[in-house]
Amino acid sequence: MINLAYKDISHSLSKFLITAISVGVLLGIVIIMIGVYRGMVFDAEVLVRDIKADIWVVQQDTLGPFAQTSKVHEDLKYQISYQDGIEESGAITFQTFQMINKGKDFKVMLIGYDPFGNIEVIDNKKLIEGRVIEKSHYEIVVSQKIGYSLGEFITLGRDQYKVVGITKDTVSNSGDYLIYSSLKDAQILQFTYTNERIRSDEKRGIKGSNPHLVNAIIAQTKEGFNATTVARMIEHTTHKKVFTKDEQESLLVDKVIKKSSKQIGMFTVILILVSIVIIALIIYTMTLEKIKEISILKLIGIPNLTIAIMIIEETVVLGFLAFISGNIFARLIAGGFPKRVLLELSDAFSLFIIILISSVFASLFGIYKVIKTDPAQAIGG
Amino acid sequence: MNNIAIKIENLSKSFGQGDSKVTVIDGASFSLKKGEFVSLVAPSGAGKTTLLMMLGCVLEPSSGKITIGDEVVYDNKWKVKDDRELRRKKIGFIFQAHYLIPFLNIEENIKLLPYENGESEKVVGKRVDSIMDYLDMKDKMKSMPSQLSGGQNQRIAIARALANEPDIILADEPTAALDKQRAISVVKMLKKITREQNVTIVMVTHDDSLLPYCDKVLSIEDKKINIKVNAKV
Repeated sequence: MINLAYKDISHSLSKFLITAISVGVLLGIVIIMIGVYRGMVFDAEVLVRDIKADIWVVQQDTLGPFAQTSKVHEDLKYQISYQDGIEESGAITFQTFQMINKGKDFKVMLIGYDPFGNIEVIDNKKLIEGRVIEKSHYEIVVSQKIGYSLGEFITLGRDQYKVVGITKDTVSNSGDYLIYSSLKDAQILQFTYTNERIRSDEKRGIKGSNPHLVNAIIAQTKEGFNATTVARMIEHTTHKKVFTKDEQESLLVDKVIKKSSKQIGMFTVILILVSIVIIALIIYTMTLEKIKEISILKLIGIPNLTIAIMIIEETVVLGFLAFISGNIFARLIAGGFPKRVLLELSDAFSLFIIILISSVFASLFGIYKVIKTDPAQAIGG
Repeated sequence: MNNIAIKIENLSKSFGQGDSKVTVIDGASFSLKKGEFVSLVAPSGAGKTTLLMMLGCVLEPSSGKITIGDEVVYDNKWKVKDDRELRRKKIGFIFQAHYLIPFLNIEENIKLLPYENGESEKVVGKRVDSIMDYLDMKDKMKSMPSQLSGGQNQRIAIARALANEPDIILADEPTAALDKQRAISVVKMLKKITREQNVTIVMVTHDDSLLPYCDKVLSIEDKKINIKVNAKV
């Protein structure tokens, strides 16, 4: 038997490949958009995952410390540590600000934690150079993306901090690069005001600031204790809001990035629809280009089914090649994006199935044209 | 055994309705025997292609009867379920231009129809070899249509029309694109085919110089079909 689709594609291979690659670039953008969404969700959760805490205690009636501002007293950690089922507790602060290094602007999140506590805040797997913070003051761990080297000094506020460790892939829920300092240093940076501010506050009757505030208390549960049960119990006894790790992750995804992810999701759906329409138009145009041959085939007696199979096969091959080139394109450019683009095989496979089914549907326009083509068109006169 | 290849009785074809109704063929009747080489002549717009399309079951007549071999294909309505299957198995076509499928090589162009008829590769291969031998084109089997001259492609078009062993071949001005010498060569070849393959060929032509090569000349005059039998060919 003669495979008409194979023969047609082979005959105009370069044209077919260029068409497939062009559609592939479009699909590549869809894959990137999905990757941006995945990256956003991943980044939202990565900070909470990196910090090895089972429980987050925050200000009452807030969704802190990420979805809402939260301030609690540092000494709350002692009260938490005495609760049933708690193994370890510690205080933590989060503060975002702008940094400039070698002329480049970086938005960073400073995490202040107790370097002498037992809760791991910096994920050891992500510490690629140096060490974690071991002193109460003037040491800092930075993300490699900011461009500092070990031993360099960074000026923050009134003080200088020595870079003692470098991490990779550490970002906040907003995708900002992370830097880590001791809790004391972070509290000074966040809660200690300048002299001008203190004088201005005094004139308003406000006396001093409280540098012993933190944004949350984190805790680890003892083995055998259920984190949710312990969280509800602490919530009941301390009049604070308490989240488990899973609840905090859900909060970040549902509250913090919900709108952004919806926006990207909608944009992705529109892009997929546009891709399907473009594939349909390409298949239709390819069919129109062959209309003379199709009318000849019909006139000499070739059934519609044989011609329709040719169009469907060409559509599937086009969809497959476009998918392959789209994936290559996406992987080539994904690294150039400023925020994380997470390309997952399962997403690519799902998109392939969607594009494949849609392409076959799209080819129905071409097949309709075949059915409607009058074989008499082949005869002149 | 019936020696009639095609028989039409009281065949008419009109286009449009009411005041705009135009009758092209009006009550035509004739029959052609197997192995006859027949030309169809008429001025432009007189209905040659319309008649050819009706004979090829491509265009539905307004009334009348068409019989191909022993099978009544039209009797005031189509009598065949699948007109394309009928064409695939009983009719061959040759056009003004060769109209070979450009993305198939010569061999594939010729074998496409018999394969579609479900014939085995062995049987088809043997037959196509013999046809290409007959047309002296065997060395062109793997060429693409774009690599051959107009005359060579027209011979391949003839080979394609013969490949499904049809009862009749309908040729719509097959020599129109060829020079005089090549046109005569093609017509001689068609005549030879009618004799040796026992196939009936109806050829539309504008070229009067080709008429002496035909057994019969069908002409359309005033919507009627006249038949002239050539005594000497």
